[in-house]
Amino acid sequence: MSLLNAGSSQKPKDKKTVMRMVLFPAFVLLVYGILFITMQDKAFLALKSSGNVFLNIIWPLALVFVVMLVFNLFVKPGQIAKFLGEGSGFRGIILSAAAGIISVGPIYAWYPLLRELKRKGAGNSPLSVFLYNRAIKLPLLPIMIAYFCWEYVLILAGLTVLGSIAIGYCLGFLVRNNDGLQA
Amino acid sequence: MKIAISAEGPDLKSAVAHKFGTSQYLLIVDLNSGDFEAVPNPGSSGQRAAGIQAVLLAISEDVKAVLTGYCSPVAYRHLTASGVEVLAGLSGTVGEVIDKYQKGELQKSVRSKVELKSKDSKIDKAALTQAVRSSAKQFVNLLPMLIGVVLLIGLFSTFVSREFLASIFSGNLALDTLWGTCFGSIFAGNPINSYLIGGELLKHGVSLFAVTALIVAWVTVGLVQLPAEMAALGKRFALVRNALCFILSIPIAILTVVILNLIIR
Repeated sequence: MSLLNAGSSQKPKDKKTVMRMVLFPAFVLLVYGILFITMQDKAFLALKSSGNVFLNIIWPLALVFVVMLVFNLFVKPGQIAKFLGEGSGFRGIILSAAAGIISVGPIYAWYPLLRELKRKGAGNSPLSVFLYNRAIKLPLLPIMIAYFCWEYVLILAGLTVLGSIAIGYCLGFLVRNNDGLQA
Repeated sequence: MKIAISAEGPDLKSAVAHKFGTSQYLLIVDLNSGDFEAVPNPGSSGQRAAGIQAVLLAISEDVKAVLTGYCSPVAYRHLTASGVEVLAGLSGTVGEVIDKYQKGELQKSVRSKVELKSKDSKIDKAALTQAVRSSAKQFVNLLPMLIGVVLLIGLFSTFVSREFLASIFSGNLALDTLWGTCFGSIFAGNPINSYLIGGELLKHGVSLFAVTALIVAWVTVGLVQLPAEMAALGKRFALVRNALCFILSIPIAILTVVILNLIIR
């Protein structure tokens, strides 16, 4: 994530992105505004309920920040790119899974690299394994554990890695490697 | 041995581009064979993550050195951490710079400047500052949507009754899991929001099967980013991958809950 955001730090955030970020909360606030005028008691109830949710997540959120910081310090994009370039063998699949797990930041920032890797001959299997394993968000684990339990999180993460390998093999079988390169 | 040079055009007569991260092209030159390839720089648009996309490209090409006019401290740190030598402060045409590099004329003058600069700037402290800044930025980016979702959950728990939810999630394992997958596939955004929504649904009596399917599909099926994925990796790849992810969300959800129940018992 850091790695991805780092490059953008010199550029002002484009208006579209800012709009996207604030549109939804602004809409919810508008609904609250209308409620406070029309149904004040219900609006207070909703706000109280939201306050409780905030209290529940405040400590896990602090932990999220710490994990993000550790990731930003120690995870280098070079490691991820090298992991992804390992090819389609079993070792390549495992390293792609690892790359997916440690990769952070918006998926849009990764597409140019993935396209380039595909153009250079990276197989569909490792690419799809990488994409699927992005479902495991290590920095967000504190929140997930707070809401569910660590056993649940562990099982889900394990099945996600296994599922990614299944997806990788299916995709390698169903889609030719050169598909989409001319696009 | 391969090197990368930031360039303003796709050939050796082009000028060396001033900025590595946002140059139009990266010329990847194989010094042994003399062959070169002009790769459009994914960061040339200057959009988000421009510099780092150029870094990733250079590393994926397995280059040993990057030759450029200017390389940001962040890109420099990531490149050198991956064993790539960075020679900055260069100008002239790409051909001239390669010629000087091969004769060893660049390394002595430019490398010593870069090394001197890096020693002076205490890179560890700089890395920590950068990491704190990046983490804070990510955190701030995450907050508006998170606040919106938390406020929405307040509305949800006040206005949506258990009866209404029961009319959608009827208790039928297969159907509920399918509904969870469908909802998760439609929505996108930070997964943290899916955990909050999932937690709230659980409180309202929705089964863990459906909630797990929602969480899995939320992060693995990307209808919103489908056009971008099709453009980057091919239409068939994106469609088949998303379809497979949709289908897989259901067994993963069922297996997760079944195994959890076995362990907790």
